[in-house]
Amino acid sequence: MKDFLLDIEHVDKYYGRIDKGVHAVRDLSMGVQAGEIVALLGSSGCGKTSTLRMIAGFEVVSRGQITLAGKQINNLAPVKRNVAMAFEGYSLYPPLSVRDNIAFALKATKLDAAAVSSRVAEVAEMLEISDILDKFPSSISGGQQQRVSLGRALIRDADLHLLDEPMGQLEPQLRALLRGRIKHYIKSRGLTAILVTHDQAEANALSDRIAVMEGGNLVQFATPDNLKKEPANLFTGTFIGEPPMNVFDAVVSCTQESITFTLDDSVSLSYPCSAFSPAVIDAAVQRQEVAIGIRPYALRRGNNGLRCTVVANQWLGDQTHIAANLAGKPIVLVEHDRALDKPDDTIDINIDADNLHIFDRSSGNAISHGAVLA
Amino acid sequence: MSSLEVKGVTKRYQKETVVDDVSFHVDTGDTLVLFGPSGAGKTVLLRMIAGLVEPESGQVFISGQDMSDVEAEYRGIGMAFQNFALFPHMSAFDNIASPLTAGRNSTSVVTAGVEKVARLLKIDHVLQHAPRELSNGQKQRTALARALAGSPPILLLDDPLRNVDAKLRFEMRLELPQLLKAQGATVIYVTQDYKEAMALGNRIAVVNQGKIEQIGTPADIYLTPASIDIARLFGDPVINLFDVIGKQDDQGGYIELSGQRLALADHQLEGVGSSVVLGIRPESLRFVNPDTPGAIRLTIEAETPLNEKIVTLALTERGREVLVSRPAGTSAPTHGTVFVAADPQSLLIFDSTEGRLTGASSVNKTEVAA
Repeated sequence: MKDFLLDIEHVDKYYGRIDKGVHAVRDLSMGVQAGEIVALLGSSGCGKTSTLRMIAGFEVVSRGQITLAGKQINNLAPVKRNVAMAFEGYSLYPPLSVRDNIAFALKATKLDAAAVSSRVAEVAEMLEISDILDKFPSSISGGQQQRVSLGRALIRDADLHLLDEPMGQLEPQLRALLRGRIKHYIKSRGLTAILVTHDQAEANALSDRIAVMEGGNLVQFATPDNLKKEPANLFTGTFIGEPPMNVFDAVVSCTQESITFTLDDSVSLSYPCSAFSPAVIDAAVQRQEVAIGIRPYALRRGNNGLRCTVVANQWLGDQTHIAANLAGKPIVLVEHDRALDKPDDTIDINIDADNLHIFDRSSGNAISHGAVLA
Repeated sequence: MSSLEVKGVTKRYQKETVVDDVSFHVDTGDTLVLFGPSGAGKTVLLRMIAGLVEPESGQVFISGQDMSDVEAEYRGIGMAFQNFALFPHMSAFDNIASPLTAGRNSTSVVTAGVEKVARLLKIDHVLQHAPRELSNGQKQRTALARALAGSPPILLLDDPLRNVDAKLRFEMRLELPQLLKAQGATVIYVTQDYKEAMALGNRIAVVNQGKIEQIGTPADIYLTPASIDIARLFGDPVINLFDVIGKQDDQGGYIELSGQRLALADHQLEGVGSSVVLGIRPESLRFVNPDTPGAIRLTIEAETPLNEKIVTLALTERGREVLVSRPAGTSAPTHGTVFVAADPQSLLIFDSTEGRLTGASSVNKTEVAA
């Protein structure tokens, strides 16, 4: 297990006195492998930024230890950690031009001037800041400052790159391109990066694995695909995915042949028992009151499905979002073609057992994903 | 219920023309979205319709009646503006109830009306709070609820979901049209979010620098954007643009991209020089076998998933960047060399000087003229 480049073990962060102050990060353990891009994802106050700042050395680790490249770094000054950072508020050097800001860290290395300038040119082109290289930080826009700060960090050959909300201020037209370019740049140089973001689109686009945080706790740490297919609980299930997962309260009943989930308004979903493993059936029957979740893109139309009334059909150019009324609340479908259903039309929706997530209603923890236990 | 028409409306502040000869109509019960960047003149336009700002020239008609001499409060208009404008000394409940209590409604009618709209906007739990105790998103929804509560025949909504978090924004985007439809109101809705514009508008007016640059259904705007600028504002990931040379032979007009001939429809090269800009939406490119006619060879740079889509950034042999988007869950190569082909109907050609769409359907033009 010690092949992690960055290893965070049982780390707590208190603001104020240990065990008394604000408990911002709670017993966090996670490892990042060399060459990985990892996102810390959560809403404000979830502990993601405190975690990043402890790794950077801007905050004291209250308890536990952080190891980077085989060395415990808890008490190492930030400059000695060989970590490159693009932080909000970790501002550019005002007296230096954009070019010199980006090149700054390279000047202390053995690279010759020609090599430095070609690397600056490469990064500047990637981030679309080639035309402002001779300007000074005070005369460029906030979005440009953010890109310069990102360039200054990415250009370095550090053990670890820490990126705080790296694309928060970019105009939407640039985002898709820059996401692809930055991911390619990080991967082709074999860099290891941790980014902090509240934007799941950014986390999904850039990272190999996402650490979902909430209330100082690490809720789930998995690949983007895994988070969607096997959410550990209702929190991740509904937090990850856009549009979010459809969730309904259900009561479980079972006969020899079939298992039935009864939603509000007596709407029921029945499956042959063989659609699930016996362990899933047992767990669901034992809980009796559960929540079921279905991803919007996993819903299919088809005969003999649940008949629902369409309440909205919104075409966004490359996706259609349809909301239909099921058991007194909207269920959302995503289709990639343009659908022509109008409000008050009826549609038949099928929910395959393979796409059904069952959650414990009281703890929120996942019981099963598809046919198998979570 | 009322229709709304704006005819040749202009507004200047000092020497700056902020709304420049704008005309459009909205049929009874329809929603027109005003879409554009900040400073485009959208809010001033709304204020002129509401009667809060007097136009330099031009008129506003409601159900065919000229409103020039009608005071704001007699125009039958409900408004929710960006800066909330809630009464600070009144609870959220009383703010929402204000248009109802102005009439002669009984207390129970008022309470029922407020609670119904508050439930729909998910602020029923904060009705007793004063505005200063509400989050910005809640303030915005309170302002929206107040606009809806009086069931005015015309509603002017200025970016009402702007400060609402992403999840609630999505839910409200789905629910708002039902709400508006149930009210039967004629709506003008201002937003800077293209998804909201497409989801909520029967028609969208793209506004820039005080002028309407294109007006049409969401499909008109997305499929036949009048200009490169408009094409870039609608769609995520952004449309691919390539400088290419338009050519003509006995089989018709075509352009070449990465050595492949892409045939164009009639008229697409009419009236433009040979240098043109080709626009291809990322979702109009499909991964295909190498032997597919017109297949373009690309090298994958990176794959970036985005909201149930997978976006691939790839390079042509000459190093031009191409974004390709496909539904999540469909398989495709993730690295190395791939081939893509474009759906022929999806190719957009813009002239390279003005960036205007060529060979556009006449629908948009007649709409603007009318």
